[in-house]
Amino acid sequence: MESVLSFCFAVAIAPLLPAVIQKTKAYFAGKQGPPLLINYYTMIKLFRKGSVYSTSTSFVFKLGPVVGFSTSLMMLLYFPMAEVAPLFSFHGDVLILFYLMGLGRFFTILAALDTASPFEGMGAAREAFFSTLAEMTIFAILILFFRLTGSLSFYEFFSGDHVIDLMGEYSALLILVVVGLYVVMLTENSRVPVDDPATHLELTMIHEVMILDHSGPDLALIEMGAWFKLLFYSGFLARLIDPFHVDNVIVNGLLFYAVVTFIYITIGVVESITARYKMPQVPKFILTPFILVFFVIIFSMGVIQ
Amino acid sequence: MDTLFVSIAVILAGGALGLLLYRQFTLMKLVTVVTTAAGCGIGLYYVLPKLLQGTSATASYQWLHTFTLAFTLDSVSLFFLIPIFLIPPLALIYSFHYLENEKKRLRAGVSYFFFSILIASMALVVMSANIITFLLAWELMSLSSFFLVMYDYESRANRKAGYLYFIFAQGGAMLLFAAFALIHSHSGSFDFSSFTAVPEQAKLLIFVLAFLGFGSKAGIFPIHIWLPKAHPAAPSHVSAIMSGVMIKMGIYGIFRIYLLLEPATPAIGQIVLVTGMITGILGVVYALAKQDIKQLLAYSSVENIGIILIGMGIGMMGVSEQNQAMAFFGFAGAFMHVFNHSIFKSLLFMGAGSVLHKAKTKNIEELGGLMKRMPVTGRSFLAGSVAISGLPPFSGFIGEFLIYYGAFQGLTGNQLPFILTILAIISLAVIGGMATACFTKVVGLAFLGEPRTAQADKASESGIAMGAVMAVMALSCLIIGVYPEPFIRLAFSGIQNVSLVSGFNTDSFMLIVTQLSRTALLFIAIFVAVSIFRKILYAKKEIGSGGTWGCGFTQPTVRMQYTGTSYAYEMVEFFNPFVPIKNAYSGIKEIFPGQTTWQSEVTDIAETGYQLYLTTPMLKFISKLKWIQHGHIQLYIGYIIVAIVVLLLFL
Repeated sequence: MESVLSFCFAVAIAPLLPAVIQKTKAYFAGKQGPPLLINYYTMIKLFRKGSVYSTSTSFVFKLGPVVGFSTSLMMLLYFPMAEVAPLFSFHGDVLILFYLMGLGRFFTILAALDTASPFEGMGAAREAFFSTLAEMTIFAILILFFRLTGSLSFYEFFSGDHVIDLMGEYSALLILVVVGLYVVMLTENSRVPVDDPATHLELTMIHEVMILDHSGPDLALIEMGAWFKLLFYSGFLARLIDPFHVDNVIVNGLLFYAVVTFIYITIGVVESITARYKMPQVPKFILTPFILVFFVIIFSMGVIQ
Repeated sequence: MDTLFVSIAVILAGGALGLLLYRQFTLMKLVTVVTTAAGCGIGLYYVLPKLLQGTSATASYQWLHTFTLAFTLDSVSLFFLIPIFLIPPLALIYSFHYLENEKKRLRAGVSYFFFSILIASMALVVMSANIITFLLAWELMSLSSFFLVMYDYESRANRKAGYLYFIFAQGGAMLLFAAFALIHSHSGSFDFSSFTAVPEQAKLLIFVLAFLGFGSKAGIFPIHIWLPKAHPAAPSHVSAIMSGVMIKMGIYGIFRIYLLLEPATPAIGQIVLVTGMITGILGVVYALAKQDIKQLLAYSSVENIGIILIGMGIGMMGVSEQNQAMAFFGFAGAFMHVFNHSIFKSLLFMGAGSVLHKAKTKNIEELGGLMKRMPVTGRSFLAGSVAISGLPPFSGFIGEFLIYYGAFQGLTGNQLPFILTILAIISLAVIGGMATACFTKVVGLAFLGEPRTAQADKASESGIAMGAVMAVMALSCLIIGVYPEPFIRLAFSGIQNVSLVSGFNTDSFMLIVTQLSRTALLFIAIFVAVSIFRKILYAKKEIGSGGTWGCGFTQPTVRMQYTGTSYAYEMVEFFNPFVPIKNAYSGIKEIFPGQTTWQSEVTDIAETGYQLYLTTPMLKFISKLKWIQHGHIQLYIGYIIVAIVVLLLFL
């Protein structure tokens, strides 16, 4: 029951949190910013609309948003949000889940290429490249976590005899992991400094340019998928840094979401004070956390015998 | 055992009948397909129960009164027999509509004949129990496939490709002869079971020789260069079984020689693992860099051989580290991937053949928009692409999951094995990501978007035999991905006779497999639910259609679409200097510039390396010996006499 509620809450709150980023950015720009509920309004607006499809596209174009949304939703089903056991979990689920994310990407890229547009092709190529690099860091983190806990599932990482906890025994190692995961989060969710989600009409972008041709409910599905994905990554990060552990489930949950909100605010801060990198610099930026985590793994050889 | 020989005889009869009946083109195809399929069916009927029970059999015959032809069947041979009997009938059914030119009916008959020899010889390779039998079957396999590659011998490029394959097949066989000769010098027997008598210090050398010999067949880097030449040259159903089944004989050889030698040195596992990583990563990067769809698939085979070798290397390291779980899942993952790859790679080659058949080009930069024009080919190719990228809920993921699982079990070690295991996991992740990039490129450019040429625009769906086979294979990729349990059990029973990992309890892992299957089903359920939800949202709404939004640009042409070269450029450049890109740009010179050209080409470093350091110096040396060839027949006879005298006196 708790798991179901936790999942529903996560799904419900996912559109709210990105508005926090917008608010933060507005604050830095000295503006008032959109209302906190902006994303719900956007969603309702998009759901009411119809769509225009390009004559170049085939059924794959319509498959893209559905697959992308479904894979993001899967992440929330298997991830222990707010320290509550997830709805599903098994030893080895991290592997299939990150590969399912790959499936989502596969169809997003195909949908972009289906439009026969050079812009979307460009975005697709970058998405394919950068996410491969980000995947290296993710697997390095999985290796480290397996080393620390002996498990291969999100739930087991944070429960059982050996727990991943910044306040726990391997805190020194985990600080670098937090940095690494933060960069992966920025990359995978197309945030500054890798990508700029603010406008729809820039050649220099990755994710936004891939979905130029989607409209109406299709676009709503893509947006929701993106919010779920961001919530998953920040939830993952929050589980690492969350210092509060109270016995009361609700209080614990609130504290957890407070940490998540804090992470969203930091994203807003990062977006306000940094500019997007030049494209050739992006691979270096994405590879940095991989080196960090790899370094940590080598360290772990000395720590754990 | 006799049943298997009957099945092989039926397969050979199918080929021979085809050759005899070549005047009646359709009848020939029908007879060959039906007879060969019946033979393969008998084989499968025998193999499957035997494999599940785990029984083994032996047989031996005298040949020419001097040699013994010995055969044995253990679980490993039985497992490899499955793709050998499963894929070729499908490829033959496909060929029913693929070989349509009645003028070439004699050639088609000959091709069918060699096709049946290839199937039979592959079956004999995995059944062999001594050196003589093995090498005979091996050579038969290499030669029959050589003739199959030479189908379109009129084209110079195809002939060159055929000769290159021949050189690599025979060069590899030479290394095998060397390895077996070394073994024979130690054990004094031709029998496989005598291999354990080889002293420990000789094993490493023997294994490396055999590894290179088998590797040239399997396509490990850098002795893979025949694959990207021979596969585009061969007819598509031939490339399908060569890439799907025949190159796995190299993998079988590597595994068999490892089992027979039972080497204790950990170096062997490490060599295999590192070779696997290099082969996998470079294979996929080269695949990404190529625009010829069949060449791309050939490089992707190199990549998948890399994945299989990573699994095998993990297994071997698990054995030397005495980590049973690691060893078991490494080997099982490699076996699973052998099976899966045989299906989806054959499917992809058949899809490529279908495209080539209708659009008359293999270059993906001249294709586009085929999904609408060839719906069956397009959809099956899409399924195959998802599978080969190792993405759930399709079959490719299952093998990779097993290998990952084995590798993660190996993370308890320290020092070198630990570092290598980490690198193996990271390589698998990189290979997965790059494979996604590679196959989104093929599907996205060849099947989606707008056709780039008039030929591609006119393409239509291929014949029903081709479509049906591809659809069946695509469906089986999905089924294996969603219900992996029986297939994983098959892979497990494939290694049950391997004494190094026997007795490993898989019950707890089977629970994980059930969960995997549940996750795949859950995903599909969500996918269906979301699709229905989307349908409801779109009900009774206005759906418009128009051109793609060009950001305000109003005169788009099909040539403005992203090209394969530009799609892959950044990723390929990242792997410079291992994957060198050569660009040629004519430049803009005047105020009103005329036409400019820009050319980009990726050359295989292995190929340029051979040219620079092997063939050119060799040619230089050999051309200095030209004076021996002068055309005077009396002197040639003199050579012969001298040679005989020397042989008689000194040997």
